[in-house]
Amino acid sequence: MKKLVCLFTLVFFAISLMAAPAVVDELLTPEQPKLGGALTLSVTSSPQSFNFYGTLDGVAYTIAGQFLNGLVEMHPVTNALQPALAESWEVSADNKEVTFYLRDVKWSDGEPFTADDVIFTFENFLLNKFAEGNSIARFTINGEVVKFEKVNDKTLKAHLPAPYGPFFTVLSHASIYPSHILKDKIDESDPGSVNELWTTDTPLNEIVGTGPFVLDQYVVDQKVTLRKNEHYWKVDRWGNQLPYFDQLEYLVVKDAQVQSAKFRSGEIDYMTIEAVDFPVLKQMELDGGPFIVYKAQPTNPTPSPIHITFNFDAKNEELAEVFRLKNFRAAMEYALDRERIIEEVFNTLAVLGGVPVLPANKAFYNPAIEELRRGFEPDKAAAMLDEMGLVDQNGDGWRDFESGNTLEFVLISSTYQAYQDTAYIFSESLKAIGVKCELQIMDSSLRAQKALSGDFEACLWAFGNQPDPQLRKAIWSPGYSLYYCHFATMDPETKEPYADLRNMTDWEKQIHYAFEIGQTAMDPRERKVQYGIWQELYAEYVPFLYVCKGMDLMGVSKTLGNFHQTDNGSLAYAVYTMFKK
Amino acid sequence: MASFIIRRILIIIPMMFIVSFICFFLTELQPGDFVSQYLENPRISPEQIELIKERLGLDQPAMTRYLMWLKQIFTKGDFGYSFAFKRPVIDLIWERMGWTISIALSTILFQWIVAVPLGIFSALHPYKMWDYILTFIAFIGISIPNFFFALVLMYLTNSSGGLFSSQFIGEPLTWAKFYDLLQHVWLPIAVIGLSGLAGLMRVMRGNMLDMLGAPFVNSLRARGLPEKKVRKHVIKNALNPMISIAGMELPNIFSGTVITAIVLNLPTMGPFFYTALLNHDQYLVMTFLMFIAFITQIGNLLADILLAVLDPRIRMS
Repeated sequence: MKKLVCLFTLVFFAISLMAAPAVVDELLTPEQPKLGGALTLSVTSSPQSFNFYGTLDGVAYTIAGQFLNGLVEMHPVTNALQPALAESWEVSADNKEVTFYLRDVKWSDGEPFTADDVIFTFENFLLNKFAEGNSIARFTINGEVVKFEKVNDKTLKAHLPAPYGPFFTVLSHASIYPSHILKDKIDESDPGSVNELWTTDTPLNEIVGTGPFVLDQYVVDQKVTLRKNEHYWKVDRWGNQLPYFDQLEYLVVKDAQVQSAKFRSGEIDYMTIEAVDFPVLKQMELDGGPFIVYKAQPTNPTPSPIHITFNFDAKNEELAEVFRLKNFRAAMEYALDRERIIEEVFNTLAVLGGVPVLPANKAFYNPAIEELRRGFEPDKAAAMLDEMGLVDQNGDGWRDFESGNTLEFVLISSTYQAYQDTAYIFSESLKAIGVKCELQIMDSSLRAQKALSGDFEACLWAFGNQPDPQLRKAIWSPGYSLYYCHFATMDPETKEPYADLRNMTDWEKQIHYAFEIGQTAMDPRERKVQYGIWQELYAEYVPFLYVCKGMDLMGVSKTLGNFHQTDNGSLAYAVYTMFKK
Repeated sequence: MASFIIRRILIIIPMMFIVSFICFFLTELQPGDFVSQYLENPRISPEQIELIKERLGLDQPAMTRYLMWLKQIFTKGDFGYSFAFKRPVIDLIWERMGWTISIALSTILFQWIVAVPLGIFSALHPYKMWDYILTFIAFIGISIPNFFFALVLMYLTNSSGGLFSSQFIGEPLTWAKFYDLLQHVWLPIAVIGLSGLAGLMRVMRGNMLDMLGAPFVNSLRARGLPEKKVRKHVIKNALNPMISIAGMELPNIFSGTVITAIVLNLPTMGPFFYTALLNHDQYLVMTFLMFIAFITQIGNLLADILLAVLDPRIRMS
C-alpha cells in the first residue's frame, strides 16, 4: 500500500510538473503589472500572408511571431536558448539523437498540442521544398535532412545525420502549426499549395496558435488586431497568466514621418527610431514629453552593419590582382574613417562593434579583434600603397599601376541614404591618398544582382547579424553563394565550395574548416573557439571592411511598464510582459 | 448616337490589347524580377530561388508569360495571382476599391463644386481684386507638390493621417465613428483636390471669358435678354470643355496621388500599387494598369456621350 501511495505521489508530481506553465524571469518582469488594456504598435505595410512558411515578408513574420511558438525559443533579452513547446530534452551520447518531451499546452481553440503537430509541420512546411519560407537548408547536415519521429503524443525524437551545433538555434526559428486545423486543407497532389494556406482572406478563427496572442481582426491596409490567447502557457512570477494586455494592435503606417508623428501623439506605444530623428525626440523627452528615448547596445540583427568589399575576381585583372593582396585591403582599412562615418552619418549613434558578431553576443564574440582592427591612419595607408609600387607615375594626382594605368575602381552602393553617405566619405578618404574611387549608386535589387553575379569591382552592402554565426555561413564562409568577394571559390554546379577547396587561399581554407567544425561541434566552448578563429582571420585578412553597427534606438511611451535598460546597456522587454501603468 | 456609342465601345477592345502589350513589356524592362529581393537573404538558397522562379513561371520567356496571362483572362476570367500575397489579384484590388473610389469621387465632387463657381465668379469680375486673389491661390495650388502640401497641412493641424483614429478602425459604423471620419477625410480631399481644383478653376474662367466675348452673347444682349439669362447661356456653353476634362479626372485621381496617399496613410490602391511595382509583383501591376486604362477609356466615353447630350451641335455632327 505504501509503495502504491509513493507511486501515485510520484505520478501525480510528474503530471503536475508536466502541466506546470513556464514562469518568465525577473529580467522581463521587474515591475508588478496591471492587467488588461491594449498595446498599439505599427508596421510599415500590410502583411502579405499570415502563413509563416508561405511568405518571406517581414511584417508577416512579426505578426505570426505573436501567435506561433517553436519547440525551443531564444530569451528576448539574453538570446539564451530555453524550452518553449518542448518542456525538456535529452541529447544522446553520440550527439545524433535528441528526445523532446512536450509541454502540456493547448492550441488557442482548446485542442491539445501533440507530437503530431510537430511532425506535420516539419513534413509539410519546414522540410517541404515548395513552401516558400521553408528551412530545408538549416536542417540539412552534410547533405542529409534531420528526421523527426513520434514516440508518443508528448514525446518525439530528432535524428541528426551528424552532430549539429546550431540545431537548437535553428529550431528556435521553427514555429509549429496545428495539424488538426490544416491537415485536411493541404492538397496532397500539390505540395506547393501550402503557400496558399492562411492567406490574408482566411477567416481568422481558422488561424490558431500557441503564442501569447491570437488573430482577432484584419482591416485591409489599416490595422491588424490580436487578442489575448487564454490558453497561453507562460505565467509571471506572481502567478498571473500572460500576456498582460487583452489586445495587441498593429497599425499599418507606411511613411516613417507619419509613424513618428503617431508615436509623438501617443497613438503608438513604442517604435524603433532612426538616428536622424534621435536628437529631436530626445529633446522632446527632456522637455517633458510623454515618452522615453533609449539608445542601447546593439543586440538585434538590424540595422544591418555596413561593410565594403573588393572583388578578388574582378574582370580588370590588374585590379583583381591588387584586391587579392592582404596589404592592399589593410591599406584600405587604414583609409576608412569609421569615426567620421559614425559621427556624420549615424549622428554618433553607432558602435564599431565586432561585426559580423556583436560584442553583446557573449556566446561567440571574440574581443581579440579589437586589437587587430586597423584605425584611421591615412599616412600609413599611403605608405603601404607606395611599398606595393602603386605610386603616381604621371603627376596627375592619382596612383598608377606599374603598367602606367591609373589605380581606379567603381564602388557600387544602394540608394539608402546612410549607405550613400558612407560610400561618399570612404571615396573622399581614398581621394586624399591618391586612389580614384568612383561611386555608382543604384537600386538595391540591382546592386544585389550585380554583386551576386560578380559584376563589380568594389561593393558596399550590409547583412544582418545573427546570434549564431552558422546561420550566416552562406555569406561569411568561402565558397558559398553569398561570399561574393571571391566567387572563384564556389563550384557553380553545386553552389558550394569545390571538394578540393580549389582557389581558396590558406586563410580562406582555415575559415572554411572553422565553420565546418563549428557546425558539428555540440560543445558551446568548442564552437566559440572555432568562430573566434574565423573572426580573427577576418580582422587580419579583411576580406570585408566592417564599418560600424547602428545602435538600438527605441522610443517608448512612459505609460508602458516592464520596459527597461539593463546594466549592460541592452533593452529588456517582451510584448507578453509589458503592461500599461 | 447608338452607332457612335457602339463604335466607341468596340474601339476599347483593340486599345486594351495595345495597352496590355505595352504595359507588360514596360514592366519587363524594370531590372530584376520578383525573386531579386530574395537574392541577399542568406536563408534562401540559390536552388530555392530557382524553385520559386519555376513555381511562379518566371523561368519562362516574357512573351510566353504574356500569352499565358491573356489566355487565362479569356478562358477563365483570371487576371493572375499575386506573387507576394498568394491570392488572385482581382480580390486584392477589390478589397481596396471601396475607399479608393469613395475618396476619388468625393475629391472630384469637391473640385467641381468649388472650382466651377469660383471660375465663374472670377470671370465675371475679371482683373479685379478677387480675381487676382483667386488666380494667385490657383497658381499656388497648381505649383505646390501634393505630398508637400499634405505634410504642411498635417503639421499645421497636428494630424497623423489615415481615415480614422486607431480606436475606430474596424469598429461598426456609429455616429461617433462617422464624426471621426469627417474629422480625418477632409484632409485627403482638400490635398488631392487642390491641384486639380486650381486647374479646373482656371479653365472655367478662361472658357467663361471666351464665351462672354463671343458674338452670340452680344446678339443675346442686343435682343434685350436679361443679363441673368445671358449668363445662363454663357455658363452652359463654357461648361462643354469641362466635361471632356472630367473624363480624364478619374484615372488621375486613382494613379496620380501615390506619394500623397503614402504620406496621408490612406488605405487606397495607390500605395498598394507602388509596393507591387517595387516588388515586381507583375500580374498585380498589370491588372492595376489595365484597370486604369479601362476607366480612362470609360471616362472618355462617358464624357463624349454627355457632351453629345448637352450640345446639339456635336450630336448633329
